[in-house]
Amino acid sequence: MEQEKGRYLYGVAASERATRLGPLGIEGRDVYTITYEDFCAIVHNCPNEPYQSNDEEIVKSWVSAHQGVLDEAKERFGVVIPFGFDTILQPGDEATSPDQVVKDWLKGDYERLRSIMKKIRDRDEYGVQIFYKSSLIGRQIAEQSKEIQKLKAEIAMKSPGMAYIYRQDLEKVAKAEMEKLADSWFKDCYGRIRPDCDDIVIEKTRKADGDRVMLLNLSCLVHKEKVDSLGRGLEEINNMDGFSVHFSGPWPPYSFVARAVVPVKGE
Amino acid sequence: MAIDIREDNLKAGVLGLVLALVEIIRDALKIQAFKRIESGILSQEECERLGKALMDLDIALEEIKEEQGIIESVQAVRDGLDDIVDGVIDRIANPERWQEETKAGS
Repeated sequence: MEQEKGRYLYGVAASERATRLGPLGIEGRDVYTITYEDFCAIVHNCPNEPYQSNDEEIVKSWVSAHQGVLDEAKERFGVVIPFGFDTILQPGDEATSPDQVVKDWLKGDYERLRSIMKKIRDRDEYGVQIFYKSSLIGRQIAEQSKEIQKLKAEIAMKSPGMAYIYRQDLEKVAKAEMEKLADSWFKDCYGRIRPDCDDIVIEKTRKADGDRVMLLNLSCLVHKEKVDSLGRGLEEINNMDGFSVHFSGPWPPYSFVARAVVPVKGE
Repeated sequence: MAIDIREDNLKAGVLGLVLALVEIIRDALKIQAFKRIESGILSQEECERLGKALMDLDIALEEIKEEQGIIESVQAVRDGLDDIVDGVIDRIANPERWQEETKAGS
């Protein structure tokens, strides 16, 4: 096993017993734990390079195996600090054994790992995306805004060229109103969600399909006793006219374990 | 990695890029035109002609996109550019990003 100098890291759990989890790893690798004090790293042996492929199906199967190992580890150990796909620890020199690298890292990062462990105990990550229908909201704005109505009345009396120029103005005003509204909705929705979460990461909004606009995209760290309450709050938002909510999870709390301070290949 | 080029794919890509650029130039023109109109130096008749010309340009561009079936690819180019510009502005406007970058690079 000359080339198997890397240790592919799935996560860190609180357990002082070395455990074998069996061949559940990526490509059926044997997954086991390397311990330091009362922590253990969940790993498999791998060559010193990241898993890479242009085949989406293969990547999917890897990621799903990664997820599967984390699920199994959570069953066994209770709390697991998840690490991202393709986190590989490797010795910096010939003299250190790969297992020692993992131990040294656990030792060096012990306090940080402990505080993360405390933070995520009994909690899971949930994804919350809230969308609104821009056409519906646009109609509402047009009906309510005096400025827009005035512009519309003026346009109706203009010659084609001038009407075009006024229409551009109209679009600008409507857009500004929409942004103002979106801003207040954002605050409102965030305010409703916040009390049920221990922590929230505001993610970048993505382009949605067709008429839907993503208003907010959150990763929420939620205690298992607060999940129902969060769900009810989201249900209320989902029932509002023109709004829809996408609620997913529970996920391993990837967004709340910060970036791994690990000597990863390629950095 | 091999790049997959099919004839229709390439055509949509190049045309999409060209049209996206034309649209961006048009948008810049529009901004300048509206500044002139708002400044009051143009006569009523000149405003009318300018408005009409811009409208015709809009219609022509929409027709070309529709005919060539490249509405999506034009939008994709513009979205891509938007993302790049967003990223650049975010970095310029938020000094803490510089620190993050330096950290990541070290």
